[in-house]
Amino acid sequence: MSTIKRVQQWATFARIWHIYDAAWQNPFESAKLLRKYLMGMHKPIYHPLNDCGDHVIVINSKDIALPGDEWKKRVYFHHTGYPGGASWTLAWELHTKDPTLVLKKAVYNSMKGNLQRRYTMERLHIFPDSNIPENIMKNVSNQLQQLRPKPTRLDSYDEKYVKEFPKIIDYPKDYILR
Amino acid sequence: MSFFMQNSLRNILNTRILISENIKRNIFASTPLAVKEIRTVENGKDITISAEIIESERKPFLVENNSGHACPLCASGLDVKHTDVLILSQFIRSDGCMMPKRITGLCNKQQRRISSLVTMAQKSGLMPNIAPPNSKRNPQTRFGWKKFNKYFDETTIKSK
Repeated sequence: MSTIKRVQQWATFARIWHIYDAAWQNPFESAKLLRKYLMGMHKPIYHPLNDCGDHVIVINSKDIALPGDEWKKRVYFHHTGYPGGASWTLAWELHTKDPTLVLKKAVYNSMKGNLQRRYTMERLHIFPDSNIPENIMKNVSNQLQQLRPKPTRLDSYDEKYVKEFPKIIDYPKDYILR
Repeated sequence: MSFFMQNSLRNILNTRILISENIKRNIFASTPLAVKEIRTVENGKDITISAEIIESERKPFLVENNSGHACPLCASGLDVKHTDVLILSQFIRSDGCMMPKRITGLCNKQQRRISSLVTMAQKSGLMPNIAPPNSKRNPQTRFGWKKFNKYFDETTIKSK
C-alpha cells in the first residue's frame, strides 16, 4: 500500500473535521453540500447503516444570503399543539432572533426523516461569526469551497484603483458634474 | 472654433478632396470632451457661483469603441453582473441614481439592463458609498429584512 493510499484509508475511516464559511452563501444550496459531508456520502465506504459521517463547522452564519426578496417571503411554521397555537415567522424575523437557525433548519430539512437524522445533526456545528472555541478549531483539517463568490463592496476597493479602472463611457461635453 | 481652424476647414472644402472614411479625422469642429463643475465661493457677503470647464478624469482610462455603430457596452462585449460594481458605478451620479440614456449613450437594451443591475447592486448594499447625503451608508443598519445579505439572478431581468 502506497503512502497516499494509506493516508486515504485513514481519512476514510476517521472522522474528519471540515470548515465552511457561510458568508454570502445560499443556505439551501449549502445544505446539499454540507449534508454530503455530514452523512459521509463522499466516502467510498458509504452505506446508510454505516456510521461514517464527518464533522462540519460552519462559520459566519449571520452573513448568509438569500436570493431576491426571499427574506420576507419565506415563512417558518410552528404549532404549539394547543388550539390557536399556530405561528408563522418570516425568515428575516427568525434570522434576527437566532442567526444560526435558518441554516440549521435548511440542513435538517435537506435530509430524509429517519432515525439517523438527529445523530447526523449532532456533527454540525454552526457559529454566527468567526469566533470558534479553540478546542473545536484545533480539529479542523479541511476547508469546503464556497459555492458562490463573495461579492466585493465598492468602498472596500482602493480609491486610486476605482479611479483608474477602465471606463466604458465618458461624460458629454457640457455635462455638469454632480 | 478658432480663426485658424476655420481657415483650414475652408481650405479643405475648397480643394474638394473626397475624404475617405478610413482616414482619421484630425480636425474637430466641436469642443473636446470636458465637464462642468459648479463652484460656489463665499467671501464674506459676496457669494460667487461659477461653472468651470474641467478636463474629464475618465479620459485617459476610456476604453476605445472601434465599432462605428454599436453602443459602448455592446462594443465591449462584456457580460455585466450585478456584482461588477466597478463597471456599474460608472453609470450613476454621486447620489446613486442612474444617468439617463442621453448621457450614458447606451442602446435601449443595455440602458434598461444596466439600470436593473444598478438597482440590484444597491439593494445588495454593494455600493454604499454612492448614495444620497441623508443615507445611512452601512447596509447593516437598514430596516428589517433589508439589513441581511441578498443576491440576485440576472436571468430575471426582462429583455425585449
